[in-house]
Amino acid sequence: MIGADLLPILAAAGGALHMLISEYGGRVARASTTSDVFNAIAEADRREILDVLMTGEKAVGAIVGHLSMSQPQVSKHLRVLSEVGLVRCRAEGRLRLYRLEPARLRPLHDWLAKYEQMWNARLDRMDDLLQELQQQGERSDN
Amino acid sequence: MTINRHGSARIEFPSELEIVITREFDAPIALVFDVLTKPEHVSKWGATPPDQMKECSIDLRVGGTYQSVFVTEDGTECSFRGTYLEVEPPIRTVETWLFEGWPDAEAVETMQLDETDGVTTLTIRLAFRDKAGRDHMTRFDGKQDDFDAMDEILRSLLDQKGMVSE
Repeated sequence: MIGADLLPILAAAGGALHMLISEYGGRVARASTTSDVFNAIAEADRREILDVLMTGEKAVGAIVGHLSMSQPQVSKHLRVLSEVGLVRCRAEGRLRLYRLEPARLRPLHDWLAKYEQMWNARLDRMDDLLQELQQQGERSDN
Repeated sequence: MTINRHGSARIEFPSELEIVITREFDAPIALVFDVLTKPEHVSKWGATPPDQMKECSIDLRVGGTYQSVFVTEDGTECSFRGTYLEVEPPIRTVETWLFEGWPDAEAVETMQLDETDGVTTLTIRLAFRDKAGRDHMTRFDGKQDDFDAMDEILRSLLDQKGMVSE
Protein backbone atom coordinates (compact mmCIF):
# COMPACT_ATOMS: atom_id res chain seq x y z
CA MET A 1 0.00 0.00 0.00
CA ILE A 2 1.17 3.54 -0.70
CA GLY A 3 1.50 5.73 2.33
CA ALA A 4 -1.05 8.51 2.48
CA ASP A 5 1.75 11.02 3.08
CA LEU A 6 2.94 10.44 -0.46
CA LEU A 7 -0.41 11.15 -1.97
CA PRO A 8 0.30 14.82 -2.70
CA ILE A 9 3.37 14.13 -4.78
CA LEU A 10 1.72 11.29 -6.64
CA ALA A 11 -1.28 13.49 -7.23
CA ALA A 12 0.85 16.32 -8.59
CA ALA A 13 2.60 13.85 -10.84
CA GLY A 14 -0.77 12.58 -11.98
CA GLY A 15 -1.53 15.89 -13.61
CA ALA A 16 1.63 15.86 -15.66
CA LEU A 17 1.35 12.21 -16.47
CA HIS A 18 -2.17 12.66 -17.65
CA MET A 19 -0.74 14.67 -20.50
CA LEU A 20 2.47 12.80 -20.85
CA ILE A 21 2.70 10.11 -23.39
CA SER A 22 4.97 7.17 -23.23
CA GLU A 23 8.41 7.37 -24.69
CA TYR A 24 8.19 5.61 -27.99
CA GLY A 25 6.24 2.51 -28.79
CA GLY A 26 4.20 2.28 -25.64
CA ARG A 27 7.11 0.76 -23.80
CA VAL A 28 5.95 2.43 -20.65
CA ALA A 29 2.41 3.05 -21.82
CA ARG A 30 -0.05 2.69 -19.04
CA ALA A 31 -2.63 -0.04 -19.12
CA SER A 32 -6.08 1.13 -20.09
CA THR A 33 -7.48 -0.25 -16.86
CA THR A 34 -5.54 2.31 -14.90
CA SER A 35 -6.32 5.30 -17.04
CA ASP A 36 -9.37 6.18 -15.00
CA VAL A 37 -7.26 6.75 -11.93
CA PHE A 38 -4.99 9.01 -13.98
CA ASN A 39 -7.98 10.93 -15.24
CA ALA A 40 -9.52 11.20 -11.81
CA ILE A 41 -6.33 12.59 -10.37
CA ALA A 42 -5.61 14.98 -13.21
CA GLU A 43 -8.39 17.29 -12.03
CA ALA A 44 -7.20 19.81 -9.43
CA ASP A 45 -10.50 19.97 -7.51
CA ARG A 46 -10.47 16.23 -7.04
CA ARG A 47 -6.93 16.33 -5.75
CA GLU A 48 -8.05 18.87 -3.17
CA ILE A 49 -10.73 16.47 -2.04
CA LEU A 50 -8.18 13.68 -1.76
CA ASP A 51 -5.97 15.99 0.29
CA VAL A 52 -8.82 16.71 2.69
CA LEU A 53 -9.54 12.99 3.06
CA MET A 54 -5.91 12.30 3.88
CA THR A 55 -6.54 13.33 7.47
CA GLY A 56 -9.29 10.74 7.80
CA GLU A 57 -12.81 9.70 6.98
CA LYS A 58 -15.24 12.57 6.50
CA ALA A 59 -18.86 13.30 5.67
CA VAL A 60 -19.66 15.31 2.54
CA GLY A 61 -20.55 18.35 4.63
CA ALA A 62 -17.19 18.28 6.37
CA ILE A 63 -15.37 18.03 3.05
CA VAL A 64 -17.31 21.00 1.70
CA GLY A 65 -16.37 22.92 4.87
CA HIS A 66 -12.70 22.53 4.03
CA LEU A 67 -12.96 23.66 0.42
CA SER A 68 -14.22 26.53 -1.67
CA MET A 69 -16.53 24.28 -3.65
CA SER A 70 -20.27 23.85 -3.50
CA GLN A 71 -21.80 20.67 -2.15
CA PRO A 72 -23.08 19.58 -5.59
CA GLN A 73 -19.57 20.04 -7.02
CA VAL A 74 -18.02 18.04 -4.22
CA SER A 75 -20.62 15.30 -4.61
CA LYS A 76 -19.96 15.13 -8.32
CA HIS A 77 -16.21 14.77 -7.77
CA LEU A 78 -16.75 12.19 -5.01
CA ARG A 79 -18.80 10.15 -7.45
CA VAL A 80 -15.92 10.14 -9.95
CA LEU A 81 -13.42 9.26 -7.23
CA SER A 82 -15.67 6.45 -5.98
CA GLU A 83 -16.09 5.05 -9.47
CA VAL A 84 -12.35 4.57 -9.87
CA GLY A 85 -12.03 3.29 -6.31
CA LEU A 86 -9.88 6.10 -4.93
CA VAL A 87 -12.46 6.75 -2.20
CA ARG A 88 -14.88 4.44 -0.42
CA CYS A 89 -18.24 5.46 0.93
CA ARG A 90 -20.23 4.03 3.83
CA ALA A 91 -23.47 5.09 5.44
CA GLU A 92 -23.67 5.89 9.13
CA GLY A 93 -27.18 6.90 10.06
CA ARG A 94 -28.08 9.66 7.66
CA LEU A 95 -24.48 10.52 6.95
CA ARG A 96 -22.46 9.25 4.07
CA LEU A 97 -18.83 8.97 5.10
CA TYR A 98 -15.96 8.98 2.61
CA ARG A 99 -12.46 7.66 3.12
CA LEU A 100 -9.36 7.38 0.98
CA GLU A 101 -8.25 4.15 -0.66
CA PRO A 102 -4.57 4.97 -1.22
CA ALA A 103 -3.83 1.45 -2.46
CA ARG A 104 -5.59 2.41 -5.67
CA LEU A 105 -2.72 4.77 -6.43
CA ARG A 106 -0.51 1.76 -6.92
CA PRO A 107 -0.91 1.72 -10.73
CA LEU A 108 0.25 5.34 -10.82
CA HIS A 109 3.22 4.53 -8.67
CA ASP A 110 4.12 1.55 -10.84
CA TRP A 111 3.84 3.63 -13.97
CA LEU A 112 6.09 6.29 -12.49
CA ALA A 113 8.65 3.66 -11.56
CA LYS A 114 8.75 2.46 -15.16
CA TYR A 115 9.03 6.00 -16.47
CA GLU A 116 11.91 6.64 -14.12
CA GLN A 117 13.59 3.40 -15.21
CA MET A 118 13.27 4.32 -18.86
CA TRP A 119 14.92 7.71 -18.34
CA ASN A 120 17.69 6.20 -16.29
CA ALA A 121 18.42 3.61 -18.95
CA ARG A 122 18.51 6.29 -21.61
CA LEU A 123 20.80 8.65 -19.73
CA ASP A 124 23.03 5.76 -18.65
CA ARG A 125 23.57 4.92 -22.32
CA MET A 126 24.44 8.55 -22.95
CA ASP A 127 26.85 8.42 -20.00
CA ASP A 128 28.51 5.30 -21.42
CA LEU A 129 28.97 6.99 -24.78
CA LEU A 130 30.48 10.07 -23.12
CA GLN A 131 32.98 7.92 -21.27
CA GLU A 132 33.81 6.05 -24.46
CA LEU A 133 34.35 9.26 -26.43
CA GLN A 134 36.58 10.69 -23.71
CA GLN A 135 38.68 7.54 -23.59
CA GLN A 136 39.06 7.69 -27.36
CA GLY A 137 40.04 11.34 -27.05
CA GLU A 138 42.69 10.51 -24.45
CA ARG A 139 44.09 7.73 -26.62
CA SER A 140 44.32 9.96 -29.69
CA ASP A 141 46.00 12.65 -27.60
CA ASN A 142 48.80 10.29 -26.63
CA MET B 1 36.30 9.48 -13.37
CA THR B 2 35.45 6.23 -11.70
CA ILE B 3 32.17 7.33 -10.15
CA ASN B 4 29.35 5.15 -11.37
CA ARG B 5 26.44 7.44 -11.92
CA HIS B 6 24.13 4.86 -13.44
CA GLY B 7 20.59 5.11 -12.18
CA SER B 8 21.10 8.56 -10.72
CA ALA B 9 18.64 10.53 -12.84
CA ARG B 10 16.16 12.59 -10.84
CA ILE B 11 12.63 13.04 -12.09
CA GLU B 12 10.50 15.77 -10.62
CA PHE B 13 7.08 17.27 -11.21
CA PRO B 14 7.22 20.97 -10.35
CA SER B 15 3.70 21.55 -11.61
CA GLU B 16 0.86 19.75 -13.29
CA LEU B 17 2.21 20.52 -16.71
CA GLU B 18 5.91 19.95 -16.25
CA ILE B 19 8.39 17.17 -15.89
CA VAL B 20 12.01 17.88 -15.01
CA ILE B 21 14.78 15.32 -15.40
CA THR B 22 18.25 16.00 -14.01
CA ARG B 23 21.41 13.98 -14.45
CA GLU B 24 25.13 14.61 -13.93
CA PHE B 25 27.87 13.45 -16.29
CA ASP B 26 31.62 13.27 -15.78
CA ALA B 27 32.36 15.07 -19.03
CA PRO B 28 33.00 18.59 -20.26
CA ILE B 29 29.98 20.65 -21.24
CA ALA B 30 30.96 20.90 -24.93
CA LEU B 31 31.10 17.14 -25.29
CA VAL B 32 27.77 16.63 -23.51
CA PHE B 33 26.22 19.23 -25.81
CA ASP B 34 27.58 17.37 -28.86
CA VAL B 35 26.26 14.04 -27.63
CA LEU B 36 22.83 15.63 -27.19
CA THR B 37 22.71 17.41 -30.51
CA LYS B 38 24.72 15.48 -33.11
CA PRO B 39 22.85 12.72 -34.94
CA GLU B 40 25.86 10.41 -35.02
CA HIS B 41 25.86 10.45 -31.22
CA VAL B 42 22.12 10.55 -30.53
CA SER B 43 21.58 7.53 -32.76
CA LYS B 44 23.87 5.57 -30.42
CA TRP B 45 22.06 6.23 -27.15
CA GLY B 46 18.57 7.35 -28.14
CA ALA B 47 16.89 3.98 -28.61
CA THR B 48 16.25 1.41 -25.91
CA PRO B 49 17.36 -2.04 -27.08
CA PRO B 50 15.95 -4.08 -28.70
CA ASP B 51 14.43 -1.01 -30.35
CA GLN B 52 16.55 0.67 -32.94
CA MET B 53 16.84 4.20 -34.15
CA LYS B 54 16.09 4.09 -37.81
CA GLU B 55 16.44 7.77 -38.55
CA CYS B 56 17.89 10.68 -36.66
CA SER B 57 18.05 14.10 -38.22
CA ILE B 58 18.93 17.32 -36.42
CA ASP B 59 19.09 20.75 -38.02
CA LEU B 60 20.55 22.63 -35.08
CA ARG B 61 19.53 26.24 -35.63
CA VAL B 62 16.57 28.37 -34.60
CA GLY B 63 13.68 27.30 -36.81
CA GLY B 64 15.48 24.07 -37.73
CA THR B 65 13.74 20.76 -37.16
CA TYR B 66 14.71 17.42 -35.70
CA GLN B 67 13.19 13.98 -36.02
CA SER B 68 13.91 10.58 -34.53
CA VAL B 69 12.29 7.46 -35.94
CA PHE B 70 12.38 4.27 -33.87
CA VAL B 71 11.58 0.72 -34.84
CA THR B 72 10.46 -1.68 -32.16
CA GLU B 73 11.16 -5.40 -32.13
CA ASP B 74 7.87 -6.20 -33.86
CA GLY B 75 8.59 -3.69 -36.61
CA THR B 76 6.37 -0.90 -35.36
CA GLU B 77 7.69 2.55 -36.20
CA CYS B 78 7.20 5.61 -34.09
CA SER B 79 8.75 9.02 -34.06
CA PHE B 80 9.42 12.24 -32.22
CA ARG B 81 9.88 15.52 -33.95
CA GLY B 82 10.05 19.20 -33.23
CA THR B 83 11.43 22.62 -34.10
CA TYR B 84 14.25 24.47 -32.38
CA LEU B 85 13.17 27.71 -30.70
CA GLU B 86 16.54 28.55 -29.14
CA VAL B 87 20.01 27.23 -29.82
CA GLU B 88 22.82 28.41 -27.58
CA PRO B 89 25.80 26.02 -27.70
CA PRO B 90 27.00 24.59 -25.43
CA ILE B 91 24.55 25.75 -22.77
CA ARG B 92 21.02 25.22 -23.91
CA THR B 93 18.48 24.40 -26.56
CA VAL B 94 14.74 24.92 -26.49
CA GLU B 95 12.56 22.98 -28.88
CA THR B 96 9.02 21.87 -29.44
CA TRP B 97 8.47 18.20 -28.76
CA LEU B 98 5.79 16.16 -30.41
CA PHE B 99 5.16 12.46 -30.32
CA GLU B 100 3.53 11.25 -33.48
CA GLY B 101 0.03 10.02 -32.74
CA TRP B 102 -0.42 12.12 -29.62
CA PRO B 103 -0.99 15.68 -30.85
CA ASP B 104 -2.49 16.65 -27.49
CA ALA B 105 0.78 15.98 -25.76
CA GLU B 106 2.79 18.64 -27.50
CA ALA B 107 5.38 20.12 -25.21
CA VAL B 108 8.24 22.58 -25.13
CA GLU B 109 11.47 20.90 -24.12
CA THR B 110 14.38 22.82 -22.62
CA MET B 111 17.79 21.21 -22.34
CA GLN B 112 20.10 23.13 -20.08
CA LEU B 113 23.73 22.30 -19.33
CA ASP B 114 25.95 23.56 -16.56
CA GLU B 115 29.54 22.53 -15.87
CA THR B 116 31.15 22.72 -12.45
CA ASP B 117 34.51 21.15 -11.60
CA GLY B 118 34.43 18.91 -14.63
CA VAL B 119 30.92 17.62 -13.91
CA THR B 120 28.20 18.64 -16.32
CA THR B 121 24.61 18.73 -15.13
CA LEU B 122 21.91 18.18 -17.72
CA THR B 123 18.43 19.43 -16.94
CA ILE B 124 15.64 18.48 -19.29
CA ARG B 125 12.38 20.27 -18.73
CA LEU B 126 9.24 19.18 -20.53
CA ALA B 127 6.43 21.70 -20.29
CA PHE B 128 3.16 20.44 -21.67
CA ARG B 129 0.61 22.65 -23.30
CA ASP B 130 -2.26 23.33 -20.96
CA LYS B 131 -5.70 21.96 -21.49
CA ALA B 132 -7.16 25.23 -22.69
CA GLY B 133 -4.78 24.98 -25.62
CA ARG B 134 -2.87 28.10 -24.75
CA ASP B 135 -0.39 28.85 -27.46
CA HIS B 136 2.92 27.98 -25.88
CA MET B 137 4.81 29.42 -28.81
CA THR B 138 3.69 32.95 -28.06
CA ARG B 139 4.03 32.38 -24.35
CA PHE B 140 7.55 31.16 -24.81
CA ASP B 141 8.63 33.24 -27.77
CA GLY B 142 12.35 33.27 -27.18
CA LYS B 143 12.04 34.24 -23.57
CA GLN B 144 13.19 32.31 -20.61
CA ASP B 145 11.33 34.24 -17.95
CA ASP B 146 8.36 31.92 -17.67
CA PHE B 147 10.52 28.98 -16.87
CA ASP B 148 12.90 30.90 -14.62
CA ALA B 149 10.00 32.11 -12.58
CA MET B 150 8.74 28.62 -11.87
CA ASP B 151 8.41 27.64 -8.30
CA GLU B 152 10.98 25.64 -6.47
CA ILE B 153 11.02 22.06 -7.55
CA LEU B 154 9.05 19.74 -5.35
CA ARG B 155 10.58 16.86 -3.52
CA SER B 156 12.10 14.33 -5.84
CA LEU B 157 10.16 11.16 -6.28
CA LEU B 158 13.45 9.35 -6.25
CA ASP B 159 14.19 10.66 -2.79
CA GLN B 160 11.12 9.00 -1.42
CA LYS B 161 12.07 6.00 0.58
CA GLY B 162 9.70 3.20 1.43
CA MET B 163 7.21 4.54 -1.01
CA VAL B 164 5.45 1.26 -1.43
CA SER B 165 5.07 -1.49 1.07
CA GLU B 166 2.94 -4.45 0.34
